[in-house]
Amino acid sequence: MYSVVNTAVLRGMDSVVVQVEADVCDGLPAFEMVGIPSSEVREAKERVRAALRSLGYRLAPKRVTVNLCPADIPKRGTGFDLPIALAVLSAYGLLESEQLSRTLFAGEVTLSGSLKGIRGILPMAAAAGRAGFSQVVIPEENGPEAGIVKNITILTAGSLRQVIGWLRAEASLKKPDIIIEERDPEKVEVDFAQIRGQQLLKKACEVAAAGRHNLLMSGPPGAGKTMAARAMAGILPALTEEEQLELARIYSVSGRYQEREGILTQRPFRNPHYSITRTALIGGGRIPQIGEISLAHNGVLFLDELTEFARPVLEQLRQPLEEREVRLVRLGGTYIYPADFMLVAAMNPCCCGFYPDRNRCSCTSASIRQHLNKISRPFLDRLDLAVEAPRVTVDELKEPGDGEASAVIRRRVEEAQKLQRVRYREEAFSYNSQIPAKLLSGYVRLTPGAKTVLTQSYDRLALSARSYHRLMRVARTVADLSGGGDVGEAHMMEALLYRSLGDELWREMP
Amino acid sequence: MKYRYWFATLTGISQREKLSLLEAYGSAEEIFWNWEYQKEKAHRIPGEAAKALEKARVQPDWENRYLQMTEEGIELVCVDQPQYPERLKQIYDPPYGLFVKGGLPKGKHAAAIVGARSCSAYGQAVAERLAKTLSGCGVDVVSGMAYGIDAAAHRGALAGGGATYGVLGCGVDVCYPGRNREIYNRMQLQGGLLSEVAPGARPLPFLFPLRNRIISGLADVVVVVEARERSGSLITADSALEQGKNVYAVPGRVNDVLSYGCNWLISQGASILFSEEEFLRELGVFSPPEREKNKNLMEKTLEKNERLVYSVLDFTPLHIDQILRGTGLEFTQAVVALFRLQCLGLVKEITKNQYSKTRLT
Repeated sequence: MYSVVNTAVLRGMDSVVVQVEADVCDGLPAFEMVGIPSSEVREAKERVRAALRSLGYRLAPKRVTVNLCPADIPKRGTGFDLPIALAVLSAYGLLESEQLSRTLFAGEVTLSGSLKGIRGILPMAAAAGRAGFSQVVIPEENGPEAGIVKNITILTAGSLRQVIGWLRAEASLKKPDIIIEERDPEKVEVDFAQIRGQQLLKKACEVAAAGRHNLLMSGPPGAGKTMAARAMAGILPALTEEEQLELARIYSVSGRYQEREGILTQRPFRNPHYSITRTALIGGGRIPQIGEISLAHNGVLFLDELTEFARPVLEQLRQPLEEREVRLVRLGGTYIYPADFMLVAAMNPCCCGFYPDRNRCSCTSASIRQHLNKISRPFLDRLDLAVEAPRVTVDELKEPGDGEASAVIRRRVEEAQKLQRVRYREEAFSYNSQIPAKLLSGYVRLTPGAKTVLTQSYDRLALSARSYHRLMRVARTVADLSGGGDVGEAHMMEALLYRSLGDELWREMP
Repeated sequence: MKYRYWFATLTGISQREKLSLLEAYGSAEEIFWNWEYQKEKAHRIPGEAAKALEKARVQPDWENRYLQMTEEGIELVCVDQPQYPERLKQIYDPPYGLFVKGGLPKGKHAAAIVGARSCSAYGQAVAERLAKTLSGCGVDVVSGMAYGIDAAAHRGALAGGGATYGVLGCGVDVCYPGRNREIYNRMQLQGGLLSEVAPGARPLPFLFPLRNRIISGLADVVVVVEARERSGSLITADSALEQGKNVYAVPGRVNDVLSYGCNWLISQGASILFSEEEFLRELGVFSPPEREKNKNLMEKTLEKNERLVYSVLDFTPLHIDQILRGTGLEFTQAVVALFRLQCLGLVKEITKNQYSKTRLT
């Protein structure tokens, strides 16, 4: 007999509906599976056989053929277990239900017959809705993430037995509890008020957040760089609904939905160790997996100890930083993962970390240069802001933390971003850091005073054309933080404070 | 002349041995041709050195190298020539030949300014100002063209308009360290570059302590600006003392690692450099340098905030946060003041967001 059950397979950030066909006929007893199944899909037959036996089904020894259609897409993932089990049962004539054709099934089955969660439920449910299915049956574990999909009924089951019961109309399946997280937006993981001293660093963080600039912090160990980076996520404006959905999708596809609490309210903060590989950072593999930069989408990617990252790994970031997505081309197709993140990096100024405190640092200028040269110039060029975070003195530690709270800073950041949204409503970009060079003169107007400052600095600091553009963008953000309008003298001077390390590698270093 | 070149580039034989050979034979040419026939004249030369000499005589390409050197405009001045610096002739082991790019010290007075490579902004400022004053008074400034104090001394002397001489530990046609290219180029026109090793010689570590004796030998007095506990500058000071020259040290604070060497020299009896006028008087220079009257001038031109910021700055680089705390100014006020001070050249951003004064008042 022949039967068909619908399921879906992940393809990049998207999902494609797949039919699981099963045919049972006489002949040498066998269980054949075709349609480019990967090894975990191929293993499904063992799980299904054992699970069905544990449910009490005695399948007659016959020739069983399972086809995954369309047969030209590579299939991977463990979600095929449930549809295969149902297709086999129905092909044996043990299960009949008109629900089968209206429903999409996905889920992993254990030997005892219970259901386990799988990756990428969110795009699968969305694909089911698009393809006109009326309901989706998924494991209970995946309930919360599928719950946010609208326009389709989601049903969750804890075991294969429950699903069969529901198909026979003997039992009913639960709808997932949709947990809308009520989170206090004022509550943040690390608050800027907790960071002692570091006025310049805090200012720079605010500017970076307001214009979505990338930030490089250098300074001795223990200055508070990591803490500031963590606090960064808290001063970015709250996620919009669209951004929430995008993030939920990314985390669903990467199978990390459960890992992160508050996925819908908090901006992600990713902090990979410097031993990370290229693939883990930007994503990849034969069928590309999602990398750290996509997990940091709409949030902060923090690279601590920047000089310790392998250089080829950092170079990979250049394209996603420009295009705000990562494009992985494979034989099977091109996979595009969103990667619109803010890059925050931290490093020590020299190998020992104490330069220019010459009583503690005896690094030669050659070794300092070598240290800085671990990061390529083109990469440094993509970091708009650079600041030095000094060592915190004992006095500062004793002082009460009277700094501004993250919530106060965030309000200013939100105001500045509102200005930008209005200004760039007809453009393809929405932040100051993204203004293309040719539009700079139109969007960044300087007061005569600011122009003087710029010309005075141009020669003194030996600025290049590239650093000039960067300076203009940063100055625009500084001016936006003080209410918009033309870029004034003081704004330009402040922007000069943050100028990138790539501009001048300490030319006359003693 | 080419035999002089041959003899000067001879390795494996010390400068003292070269001088005694020269005394015995009379000239480098004699040594080259009559070496085999008058071996008894060289009885004081150890066997190793004699072998090296023997080998060098039959080396084929030294004449080509000599021609190449003259084409490059490098001069060779030997100890038996009148233009050889008188002061250097007096030391125990003067180099037989000096390779020169530019000129040789001609002034009545010469002072060596040496110090640490990785120095502080304060040390740089001291060296630069002292060298500027000295060169403005016509005193030749000699140093080693290394990073840090040496380079600052050369820079100061160039700015003062006088001549400055760099003694290199490599061939004079090799600019080492490479990042001093600018002063290297300027010194050829305003002073000179000297070395006892052949043009083209790589900067090898053992050559540097040796060239220190030439630095002190060319000068009447040696000033050590900043030196760590075990510093190459102390070798220069040592050789200066051996040569009977006066050593001055710039005193520093007790806990400054970079002043340890200087303070130690003082404790051993070195003179203290505390005032430029006094130093010049002791050197025998009596053209009183016009005192920079810029203190009052500065007070007048600076605005209140700028004066406030300038008053908290020092030669130890201060981070902008420290400046904010020291002055109590608003962030923007301090930023504006710092920018103006930098434009006036009074303050420099030593490294990212860290500022220091540029000149002593």
